Amino acid sequence: MEPSGRITADALSKRFGSVTAVEGLSFTVEPGTVTGFLGPNGSGKTTTLRMLLGLVTPTSGEARIDGLRFAELPHPAGAVGGVLEAQGFHPARTARAHLRVHAAAIGVPDERVEEVLALVGLAGDARRPVGGFSLGMRQRLALATALLGDPRALVLDEPGNGLDPEGVAWLRSFLRGFARDGRSVLVSSHLLAEVDQTADHVVVLRDGRCVYQGGLDRLRASNRPRVLVRCASPVELAEQLARGGLLEIDTLPDGRLAVAADAVRVGDAALAAGVAIYGMVEERLDLEQLYFQLTADQGVGPR
Amino acid sequence: MRGLLRAELRKTASTGSWWALLVPVVLLTVSINAFGGLFGATVTGLGAGSAVVLLASLAYTLGLTSVLAMVHGVVVVTSEFRHRTITTTYLTAPGRDRVLVAKILTAGAIGTGYAAAAVVFGLGVGLAVQGGGALPAPGPLLGVTATGIVVCWLWSVFGVALGMLVTSQVGALVLALVYVLAGENVLALVLNSAEPAVGSTGPPLLARLTAYLPVNAGDIALYDVPARELAGPRLSGVVIEGLAGVTAPPTGWVSLVVLATWVTAAVAAAWLVGARRDIT
Repeated sequence: MEPSGRITADALSKRFGSVTAVEGLSFTVEPGTVTGFLGPNGSGKTTTLRMLLGLVTPTSGEARIDGLRFAELPHPAGAVGGVLEAQGFHPARTARAHLRVHAAAIGVPDERVEEVLALVGLAGDARRPVGGFSLGMRQRLALATALLGDPRALVLDEPGNGLDPEGVAWLRSFLRGFARDGRSVLVSSHLLAEVDQTADHVVVLRDGRCVYQGGLDRLRASNRPRVLVRCASPVELAEQLARGGLLEIDTLPDGRLAVAADAVRVGDAALAAGVAIYGMVEERLDLEQLYFQLTADQGVGPR
Repeated sequence: MRGLLRAELRKTASTGSWWALLVPVVLLTVSINAFGGLFGATVTGLGAGSAVVLLASLAYTLGLTSVLAMVHGVVVVTSEFRHRTITTTYLTAPGRDRVLVAKILTAGAIGTGYAAAAVVFGLGVGLAVQGGGALPAPGPLLGVTATGIVVCWLWSVFGVALGMLVTSQVGALVLALVYVLAGENVLALVLNSAEPAVGSTGPPLLARLTAYLPVNAGDIALYDVPARELAGPRLSGVVIEGLAGVTAPPTGWVSLVVLATWVTAAVAAAWLVGARRDIT
């Protein structure tokens, strides 16, 4: 099988002592797509990415790139590039010296160093020690390092941190282009907005477990509007709605009814039942709220 | 593998630690051998004895150089953990074991260079201060030089292994220096104070162990040649006992094997631990 850059996580779990960082996580990043890896800080994103890259050994399950575990890759830097943290630099080394070290390790000619420097827009800063770089410049240098081996897959951990809006836009279009070449991209973020315009798929993590995976469109579609009704007799209105085939009705703590339908239908039902309406609010969650609902702590005890 | 070696050489060349440690190597060498040369010239009056003093100064210098070679080995590895560059190093290398091998070979080369520098500077300064004393015979001189190079190489490798085991730069350096400069002396003192078993002749077993501790083993190997030159093969052991604070030392090459065994064990441990370590 031709190496493709496909990234697969198969029932990945990782425990650090008594702390479970990741539990039974499975997903696939298909070549030609950008997958957003979402979750709040501490939800296990970084641990998962590091398991994919062979830096952390899973307690159980397997992480594979091109169908192989990282340690089995004959030419790892050509298979996958990792942008894991903006701190992985010796402060005294210049950007060029840093890249030349890793170009030698990978076995690519030194001209490749100049190529990636130009690609990420650091050509003018190549002779400066990295110790004086801003966070955004370090992110660019980390990306340049990941690209040295011309990999088929990219794994990026919060690459937007420290980038200015211009840099974020540039990164977004770069990752889209990278995926359009038939390569795969897995990019983590704790903000949905950061991957909203980039990702074809998202994997949403909460407390180390997957709470959603699939397209963003499906996530949007899963969100149906609700109408919150304050009325004279919630029971009679509910009965009328049920006769009309509407069974998704909740009673809110404040006595209002929450109905999964539009306001017209609820108003008509109320008129038919002869129930006075005191107030009606249409509620629609945007994607960000949906994401928040997915990842928010659901409190204690069953509801 | 060749690529990884080149990468390690570029890492070494692009930071200052190798020459920052070369400076104390040269300073120590110059001061010790200047003193040795002066001592040899005054006490032995430029006779045959001055060459022995020169050899002994060289051996002592090489012993201290090996400590700096070890420090360099520790720094090479722990700076990767300190600056978190180990992540990228592992991402761009086909296997952690090869990274360890590349580091051992590179740091070993630097340690060997330190030994060579110590011999060249030490000999030059010693002879200059003596002002026309006899050059040691080529055999013993080569013997001390070769032993010094091997000992420094082994301690460099030990430093790499220790750095890989401990990963904390400060932790590894403190641990290594406290043991090498003081800990082993205390240990040897305790072992040497052991009472001989009732009815047995010769030194007690515990006291004999002193010669098989790593720092002592390196020192014995280094002092072997000068001690033979000074006291002859039969009494050289007594001289070494005095110089290294050990009991019943084996010959030089056996001591080298002892030190190599310690280093091999450290590398094996580093290989096992390093391969499994989570880089978080």
